[in-house]
Amino acid sequence: MSLKIAIIGCGKIADAHVEQIRRNRSAELCAVCDTEPIIAEQLAVRYTIPHCYSDVASMLSDMKPDVLHITTPPQSHLSLTRQAVAAGCHIFLEKPVALHHCDAEAIVSAVVAGGRKLAVNYWPRFETPALELHRLYESGVLGIPVHVESYTGYDFAGEFGLALRRDPEHWVHRLPGKLFQNMLDHVLNKITPFLIDPQPSIEAIAWSGEAGAAETCRSELLDELRVVIRGTQTSAYATFSAHARPVSQTLRVYGTKNTAYIDFAARTVVLERKQTFPSALGRLFPPFLVAKDYFGQGMNNVNSFWHSRFHYFEGMHRLVDEFYLSIERNAAPPIPYEEILRVSAMMERIFQQIYPEVRA
Amino acid sequence: MKVLVTGAGGFLGVHVVERLLAHGYTNIRCFLRDPGKTKRLIELSEQYVGAQLELCYGNLRSKADCAVAIADVSLIVHLAAGLKGAPAELFADSVVVSRNLLEALEARAVSPKKNTRIVLVSSFGVYGVVPLGRGARIDERSPLENHPELRDTYSHSKLRQEQLFRDYQIKDGFELVVLRPGVIYGPGGGAFSNRVGLQIGPVFLHMGGRNLLPLSYVVNCAEAIVLAAGHPDSAGQVYNVHDDDLPTASGYLRLYKRHVKRIHSIRLPYFVTRMLARSLESYHRSSQGQLPAIITRYKAAAAWGGNSFDNAKLHALGWRQLVATPDALAQTFQYLRQKETKG
Repeated sequence: MSLKIAIIGCGKIADAHVEQIRRNRSAELCAVCDTEPIIAEQLAVRYTIPHCYSDVASMLSDMKPDVLHITTPPQSHLSLTRQAVAAGCHIFLEKPVALHHCDAEAIVSAVVAGGRKLAVNYWPRFETPALELHRLYESGVLGIPVHVESYTGYDFAGEFGLALRRDPEHWVHRLPGKLFQNMLDHVLNKITPFLIDPQPSIEAIAWSGEAGAAETCRSELLDELRVVIRGTQTSAYATFSAHARPVSQTLRVYGTKNTAYIDFAARTVVLERKQTFPSALGRLFPPFLVAKDYFGQGMNNVNSFWHSRFHYFEGMHRLVDEFYLSIERNAAPPIPYEEILRVSAMMERIFQQIYPEVRA
Repeated sequence: MKVLVTGAGGFLGVHVVERLLAHGYTNIRCFLRDPGKTKRLIELSEQYVGAQLELCYGNLRSKADCAVAIADVSLIVHLAAGLKGAPAELFADSVVVSRNLLEALEARAVSPKKNTRIVLVSSFGVYGVVPLGRGARIDERSPLENHPELRDTYSHSKLRQEQLFRDYQIKDGFELVVLRPGVIYGPGGGAFSNRVGLQIGPVFLHMGGRNLLPLSYVVNCAEAIVLAAGHPDSAGQVYNVHDDDLPTASGYLRLYKRHVKRIHSIRLPYFVTRMLARSLESYHRSSQGQLPAIITRYKAAAAWGGNSFDNAKLHALGWRQLVATPDALAQTFQYLRQKETKG
């Protein structure tokens, strides 16, 4: 069976969606839509997509897609989800899920009530090292997670950062959590699988790095964020930085048995093991053991590259495939809805602490 | 006459404002997005007696800002365009803003047909040079690109922008003058056009070889724009803009190495470039886009197809190169050297 796919929202991230949809052999991208016809047209022309629309109702009615990828700003996610579910579509939603946690709950409710499925684009969670970490955790190699450190860097000189800086009217500036709301899903969704608590305690501070740490919360666009999360069993640090270099994405999980460290940019996952060598030998061997691990990871990456499984959005490709498969087989979607909502609830609590108007 | 210059704070914009003042236009609205780019414009207003430069900040993506920009003007020099970034951003900054501007003009109480002339600064990139074959001479009668999806996104967006202006011109009847500059260069600009080659990691792949570079020194380009803007015969016309004594790509690279800094470059003859492009295309396809096809045979033919260029039509309008190419290159390299020294 070939799934008919459509996209609403033809901005920057839509390119990545088009490319991953086209890599799936059981999917056919039939149409794209954007309220700005020129932006819809450019995407359709560049990727030779047969139909483009500026009105989502017309697209849903003409094309009758099985899946709608919603890649619009989050302000429109709830209404578009309701409209698409009513038209019989499953939903692949770009993060952030919604403006507020209550909207995220309404999105999940609408999908469940309509008997459809939902996935949110938590693509780093589906990268090879993240899956390997999950395997290590599930097999008990790490033991019980004691602490998790999730770090995400940001580059204002990059494609997305430039768009934000150039345009004071950019939709990100109008989010309750501003820049953080557009990025924090990827920081927190790496932590939530290791937290058993539905509502852990959260303490957040934020500031504008350009003005300096002393200017906490004064700047309109804060770009440095530190969050301390404490659950009954596991604690976590979530860090977002727009000024630290190199720009990276890392995750470290400290377990009662071993610690795992993931570098998402280099696509490596390395286990930091308890030393068994005695005395000075215990200090002599570890660098070589770590080097051996990295060499092995490097060779795995070469293998992935050789077999064309080393794309930038490889995790998104895997997530899209799993989501489509869950539709075809009527199986559980790849990301539990409970986890999507937990991330959304944590984000809102963080924004309430750093942007007082969110609390109001 | 009140003149609007969009993108007035940009690399080309400040020179266009300067040339407008030099040609006797005094009432100029300088529309710019970044308030940090006003220093040179303020200097110009002090330098030219009687100059009334109105600095107007905004973003042409906003229809309200467009309405403010076009109020009371009878000549619009439209320079604002996206130069880099994601494709959607390029189209938003070049095509959507143009549409907003044209719609604001349509909505203006005064009839645009009778009172307004628009000078659009387009690009050489709109020409469809590939079907013409190697060595074709490019002038204003050369065909436009039929396969924009096969070209770089910048060229694609400029072609769409031009089409948009033509559609509105037919509908609204304003006077349209289109200028298509080649590679605009000068102090404040970049060092290399793709027509010279591509920097891949630490190595500069030099594909340009003996291809002529259609350089347009920023002052000479601004002079052409202002001349065409005010010429009674230019309405409805298109002008290619480049300087007279054009260097080859290899000549430019040699001078750069001599006057700015040594760089490690590898010369790729055209047939090698084609082979490389074929391999990249093939790999891009088979790997489902694991590596981008930054060079394709089509792009290679468009950029390094041995074309020659003709600016006779611009000369017929009375344009003369204000800064000779050796002087222009010297000033540019001096700027680039200072930039390199500062790091």
